[in-house]
Amino acid sequence: MPISFKSLSYIYNKDMPYAHKALDNINLDIKEGVITAIIGETGSGKSTLVEHLNALLLPDEGSLQILDYEIVAGVKQKFLKPLRKDVGLVFQFSEYQLFEETIIKDVAFGPLNFGFAPEEAIKRAAEALKLVGIDQSLFEVSPLEISGGQKRRVAIAGIIACDPKIIVLDEPTAGLDPQGAKEIISLFVNLNRKLNKTIIIVSHDNEMVYNYCEETVVLSHGKIMYHGKTTDLFADKEKLKEFNLLEPQIVELKNMLIEKGFKISSEARTIEMIAKEVAGQVKR
Amino acid sequence: MNNLVFGKYIPIDSLIHRLDPRAKLIGLFLMIAAVFIPKSWIAFLVIGVMIAIALLLAKIGIKMIVQSFKPMIVMLLFLMLINSLSIKTGYVLFSIGTFDVYSDAIFNTLFVIVRLLLMISITTLLTATTNPLDLTLGIEWMLKPLQVVHFPAHEVAMMVSIALRFIPTIIEETMRIMNAQKSRGVDFENGKLSEKISAILSLIVPLFSVAFERAYELADAMEARGYVPGAQRTRYHVLKFNFLDYLFIFICLLVMVFSILSRFYL
Ligand SMILES: Nc1ncnc2c1ncn2[C@@H]1O[C@H](COP(=O)(O)OP(=O)(O)O)[C@@H](O)[C@H]1O
Ligand SMILES: [Mg+2]
Repeated sequence: MPISFKSLSYIYNKDMPYAHKALDNINLDIKEGVITAIIGETGSGKSTLVEHLNALLLPDEGSLQILDYEIVAGVKQKFLKPLRKDVGLVFQFSEYQLFEETIIKDVAFGPLNFGFAPEEAIKRAAEALKLVGIDQSLFEVSPLEISGGQKRRVAIAGIIACDPKIIVLDEPTAGLDPQGAKEIISLFVNLNRKLNKTIIIVSHDNEMVYNYCEETVVLSHGKIMYHGKTTDLFADKEKLKEFNLLEPQIVELKNMLIEKGFKISSEARTIEMIAKEVAGQVKR
Repeated sequence: MNNLVFGKYIPIDSLIHRLDPRAKLIGLFLMIAAVFIPKSWIAFLVIGVMIAIALLLAKIGIKMIVQSFKPMIVMLLFLMLINSLSIKTGYVLFSIGTFDVYSDAIFNTLFVIVRLLLMISITTLLTATTNPLDLTLGIEWMLKPLQVVHFPAHEVAMMVSIALRFIPTIIEETMRIMNAQKSRGVDFENGKLSEKISAILSLIVPLFSVAFERAYELADAMEARGYVPGAQRTRYHVLKFNFLDYLFIFICLLVMVFSILSRFYL
C-alpha cells in the first residue's frame, strides 16, 4: 500500500472554543497504480484529507504512511521535501500560485526546488508543458497574462515536471469548460496508464468519477462512509440515496440497455466500452 | 498565521456578544481610563475581578489572554532590567553581588505588567465578542458628530469595514498560496538568503495579483448594486440600545468613578 491512514484525526483550531474535528478516525488504504476518487459534499473534509498527503497538515491523532515515509501524530518530521517531491499536489484553483516572469520558468520552479539541475529542470518543464497542451510559443510569456484555463494547465505542468510518484488533484476541473475539463482528466488518465502513476482525484463530477476512477472513497462529516469499487458504489441505489449522490447518466443508460435484454458487464465504465459490448451483441 | 489570537473575533454566542457594539465601544473607553488612573493594588484587584467576570460571561478562555500577552514578555523583561538599573527608591528588596535591587523598581514594573494585562483583556473582550462589521457600525456612530466639520464618517467607516472584512480573506489566501508553494518544494523556514528571497517572491506576487483581482471584483459588485460614495443610505441592520446595554455602560462608568476615587481614598 503506498498510502495508508491509520486512525487519523485532524482538528482545526484546536484548543479554541470553536474547534472543529474535520477528520474523524480515518482508516484508509489507497492502492498503488490506481485512480481513486474522493467524493462527498462540501465541507466533508476532502481537502483536509488531501493536504495530509503532502504533510501540509499533520495529524492530531493516529498516523499516516505514504510510500516509505511515516507521519505520526506529535512526532516532528524531517523528510518534508522528499515527501513533497514524491507526492505532487494540485490545489483547487491552482492558477493562483503562478508568479515567475515566464511560463517556462514557473514550471521549472518546482524541479529546481527539488534539486534538479537547471538544464534538466527546463527540459522537464518543456516536456510537462507539452503534455498539458501549452504551445511552445507561449513559453516565454508571463503566466499572469494568459487565460484562466491556460493558467490552470501551467500550474498542473508545474507539478508534473517534478516527476511525482503519486499525483493528488483537488477539484482540478472546477470552473473549467467541459471540453477543457475532459482534456485535463484524460491527461491524468494517460499518466496513470503509461507511467503507472497513482492518482487521487477529489471531484464533484460523478460522470467523470464513474468513467475514469476505478476506486471511490465517500466522505461525510469527516468520516469514511464507503471505500471500494466505483462500479459497485454506483450500482447500489440504496447507497446512492444514503450518501445523497446522483446516479451518473451512464449508469442509467446501462440499466436501460440491460432492461432491453443486452448483457453489459459491470466493468463497462465509459460510453466507448458500452458501445463495444452492445455492438458485439447486435452482430450476433 | 492562524495562531494570531490578538484581535481575533470568536464567533460564539454569549451575553457579551449580544451587547450593542456602541455600548461595548463606550465601555472600552471607560475601562481603559479606569485602568490608567489608580495607584493602589486594591483598586487593581477590584477592576481585575470585574474584567474577569466579563471574560467569564464572554466565554473567553484565559489561554487567549496569555497567548496575546506572550509576545510582550521580552519587552517587559527589558523594562524590568532598565527599572532595576535606574530606580533607586524604596527599600532594598534583594542584592545580586554588590548590585542592589530596590522595591520601587520591581513594583513599578509590576504595575506596568498588570496594566498591560488588563488592557489586553479589555481589548480582547471587545474584538473577540464583536463581529468586525458591527464594530465598524459602532465606530461610524461614534464618528458621526465629526460630520459637522465635514469629516467623511460614513466613507471612513466603509473603508475600515472593507479592510476588516478582507483581513481573513487575505490570510486565507496567503495560507493557500503558501501551501501551494510548499508543495512545489519551497521552504519558508530554512534556507539560504537567495532561497528565502525566492520563497517570499513566490508568495508576494500571487498575493498581490489575487488582492487586485478581488478589489476590482468588489468595486464592480458595489457599483452594480448602486453604491455611490456620500449618498444618503438607509440601513438593513439598525443598532438599538436596550436595557442590558445601558446596564453595561452604567457598570463601566461605576468602575471608572471608583478608580478615580481610589486615587484619593485608597
Ligand atoms: N483553515 C480552516 N480553519 C477552520 N476550519 C476549516 C479550515 N479549513 C476547513 N475547515 C473546516 O473543515 C471542514 C472540512 O473542510 P474541507 O476539508 O475544506 O472540506 P471539502 O474540501 O470537503 O469541502 C469544513 O467544515 C470546514 O469549514
Ligand atoms: Mg475542498
